[in-house]
Amino acid sequence: MNWLSALARGAEIPVFAVAGAQGLAPVEGLRRRPGLRLVDSPRHARVLLVAGAVDAAHKTALERLHAQLPPPRGTVWWQAAPLFARGEAVAGNDPLPAIRAAAEASDPDQRPDVPPHPWQGMGPHGQGGRGMMGGNPYGRPMAMTAEDIRDGLELDAYSARFGPFLPMLPPGLALDLTLQGDVIVSVTVVSPPFEQGVQGDAPDLCAARMLRLMGIGPRAARARGALMVLPKGSGMRRRLAAWLRGGTVAETPEPLSEALPGLEWAEAVLWLASFPPSQLRAVCMERQAA
Amino acid sequence: MIAAALTLLLALPPLVWVAAMFDRIGTGRGAVLIGPLQNGAALLLRPNTATEAPDRLNRLLAPGWYLALALVGLSVVPLAPGVVASDISTGLVLWGACEALTVVVVFLHGWSPNAPLPLIGAYRYVAIGLPAMLLSMFVLIGAALPAQSLSVVEVVEAQREIWNVIRQPLGLPLFMALGLAITLRGPFDYADGAELAGGTSAEESGPALALWHFARAAMLVAFSAMAATAFLGGHLGPVLPGPVWLLLKTLVLMALSVAAGRFFARMPPARMLTFLWVVLLPLSFASLALVGVEVLP
Amino acid sequence: MTDALFLALSTLAIWSGWRVFRVDSMVRASFQLMVSFIAVGLIAVLLAAPYIGIATIFMMAVEMMVMALFMVMFMMNPAGLNPMVMVHQHRFSIAAGVVAFSGLSAAVLLSDLPVQRVPEGADVVRDLGHELLGPSMLIFETAGVTLLATMIGAVVLSAHSGRYGASDAGSLPPGLTPGGEPAGRKPDESAGHHHHHGGH
Repeated sequence: MNWLSALARGAEIPVFAVAGAQGLAPVEGLRRRPGLRLVDSPRHARVLLVAGAVDAAHKTALERLHAQLPPPRGTVWWQAAPLFARGEAVAGNDPLPAIRAAAEASDPDQRPDVPPHPWQGMGPHGQGGRGMMGGNPYGRPMAMTAEDIRDGLELDAYSARFGPFLPMLPPGLALDLTLQGDVIVSVTVVSPPFEQGVQGDAPDLCAARMLRLMGIGPRAARARGALMVLPKGSGMRRRLAAWLRGGTVAETPEPLSEALPGLEWAEAVLWLASFPPSQLRAVCMERQAA
Repeated sequence: MIAAALTLLLALPPLVWVAAMFDRIGTGRGAVLIGPLQNGAALLLRPNTATEAPDRLNRLLAPGWYLALALVGLSVVPLAPGVVASDISTGLVLWGACEALTVVVVFLHGWSPNAPLPLIGAYRYVAIGLPAMLLSMFVLIGAALPAQSLSVVEVVEAQREIWNVIRQPLGLPLFMALGLAITLRGPFDYADGAELAGGTSAEESGPALALWHFARAAMLVAFSAMAATAFLGGHLGPVLPGPVWLLLKTLVLMALSVAAGRFFARMPPARMLTFLWVVLLPLSFASLALVGVEVLP
Repeated sequence: MTDALFLALSTLAIWSGWRVFRVDSMVRASFQLMVSFIAVGLIAVLLAAPYIGIATIFMMAVEMMVMALFMVMFMMNPAGLNPMVMVHQHRFSIAAGVVAFSGLSAAVLLSDLPVQRVPEGADVVRDLGHELLGPSMLIFETAGVTLLATMIGAVVLSAHSGRYGASDAGSLPPGLTPGGEPAGRKPDESAGHHHHHGGH
C-alpha cells in the first residue's frame, strides 16, 4: 500500500472547524485556502480546528466532538485557549502550518472510549421503555408517539440535544429539540450563539452561509432564482436578497422557542441562518436573562 | 454480451474519475486531474467508524449495493448495434427497478448507522425520491412509445431518423430531475445535504465513505449513459464509431448534470414535494400525452 | 443451470420470508420481505415472464420502501433499531401458517399442472400487453381509477387543510348570500351526546 500512501500525501487535509467567539469570519476565510477542505461532519475530518475562544461550559461537548474524529486525529487551537491538553495552540493569522503538522499527529483519546452508559434495554424484550417504545433507558432518549402538531396523527416524537458545534447551526447555539420526523415540535435554548462581533454580520459571509445550506455558491445565487426556492412570507427571501445586494439585516428574530416549532429541519436551519449571528445571540441572551 | 460487460467494467473507473474531475472544475480548488485520486487515496487510508447499535450488515453493504445498481442500470445501455451487456426485452423496466432500489439503498445507508441526522436524511430522501422516480417512469414510457418496445435496443433504433430529445422536448429535462435525485446532487440532494452535516453519510468515514462517493459518481455515469441512450440516440451518429458517440453524449450529459446541480438551489423538502407533485408530474403527463398524439397512426 | 438458479432463488425466497418473522425491527422485516419478493421476481424471469418478474421487483421495492418509511414515522427511535418483538398471537399464527403452507403444497403437488413450454423467441411482453389492454382493459381501468379516486378522497378527507380552511378552525363553507348561514349540511347537534351515552 506504499503507492496509496504516496498518492495520499498530496491530498487536501479534511478539517472540521469549530468556530468559537470571533471565530466565524476567520473560518469562512479558510474555505478558499488550497491544501485543506472544511468538512461538515467530524467523521470526515482528520484535524479538529478550534477557531476562537470556546467557554469552559462547552468543554464536555468539545471533548465528545474530539472523540468523534476517527483516529489518528490532530487538534489545532487557533486564537483560542486550549480547553484540554491535546494538539497545538497558534496565535497568528495563518493556522495552515499548524494544521499541516496536526495532520501528521495522532492525539490520544481525550475521553475513555466506552459508552457513557453500557447499552442495556429495559422491559421484557430489551426494548427500553413503555410498551415497545419510548423511555430514556440508560441515558438514551427513545422515541414515543405523541400527537403531531400539524394534523393530530399519533407519530413518534424524538427528543435530543442538537449543538453547540453542529455546522448548520450558528456556532455555539445548542438546542434541546423534540422532533417528529424532521418537524420541530418544541425548542429550548440551552446555550446562545457565541459573540461574533461586526465581522460575523458581514453581508457576504452571511449570504454564503445561507447559500451553502441551499447547496449553491454565491455565483449561482446571482441569477435570483435562488430566492424563489425559499418559502414565502418568512422574511428569508427579503433578508437573503438584502445580503446579496451587500446590505445589512437589522431585523430582530422572534424568540426561538416560538418561531421554530412547526418548521421542518431544513426550513428551521435556513431561518436561523437568515439572521445575523449578533441578532440571534441578542434574542437568546434576552430569553435566558428573563 | 460478455465483451460488452467487460467493456463497461473497464470503462467505469475512468468515467468515475472524469465525474470527480467535473465536480472539481470551477470550485477554485485546483488540482483538477490528480486531486480526486489523492483525496480518494487519503480517504481509503482512514479507518471506518463505529456507531452505537448499528445494523452492521446493511451499513457495510449499502455502498456496495449502490454501486451494483449503477452497474446493472448501465448494463442495459447498448454500446453499439448488437453490443449490449444485458439484452432483455424489458430493459427500461429493469432500469426503473434500479431507480426504485436506489431509493431503498440510500434509505438503508441512512437508517443503518442508528443516528438522528442520517436517519432524517434517509426518510426525507425517500419522500422526494419516490415521486421523482414516478416522474421518470412516465418520461421513459414516452421514450418507449415511438419504439413500440420496452427494449433499450429498440428505443435507440427508433431514433435513427430523429432523436427523442427533439421529438419530446420535455423528456430530457424531466429525466434530468431524476438523475439529480438518484445521484444525490444539488437541488435533489435531500439525503446528503449540508443542512444535515452530510446526512446519510454523516457517520461514515474511511473506505465506506470512499466507496459511497465512488458509487455516487458511478450512478452519475449510469444515468448519463441511460439519458444519452433514451433521448440523444445513444450510439447513433455519423462518421465516428458508435461507442465513441455514446461516450461523447454521456460526457456531455454528465457535465450538464454537474452544472445543473450547482446552479439550482435546494428547496426545503415540503416545498420540493409540492413542486414535484403539482408541477413536474403533470408536466410529465403532458409530455406523455404529446408523445401519444405524435405516434398515433 | 436454470434448475440450480431456480433452487437457489426459491431457497432465498423462503429463507428471507422466514427471517421476516425472526428479525427484531420493522425496517429489517420490510426489507427481508422485499428480498423474498425479488427472488420470486427473478424466478418469474426464469419462467420466461420478464415483464412480470422485473415489474414485481420494481413494485415491491417501492411498496416495501413506503412501508418501512411509515414504520419509521411511527417508531423513530433513533433509527428504529431499538429491539422489539415483531410477532403476536403465536399459536394462531403458527396454526394459520401450517394450514396455509400444507394447503398450498397439496394444491401444487396433487393437481395436474399444465405443461406448456414457451416457444423460443415468443413475444411474451407483447402478448401480455395485448391481454391486459385488450379483453381485460375495462377491468383494469375501472379498478385503477377507483383506487386512485379512493386514495385522493382519503387524503382530502384526512388533510388538515380542508377545502374551506383549516379543520381546527371550523372549515365552514361560505354562505350562499354574503354574510349568510354557511352552506351545506348542518352538523348534527345531538351526535356527540349519542356517542357519549353509547360509550357507557
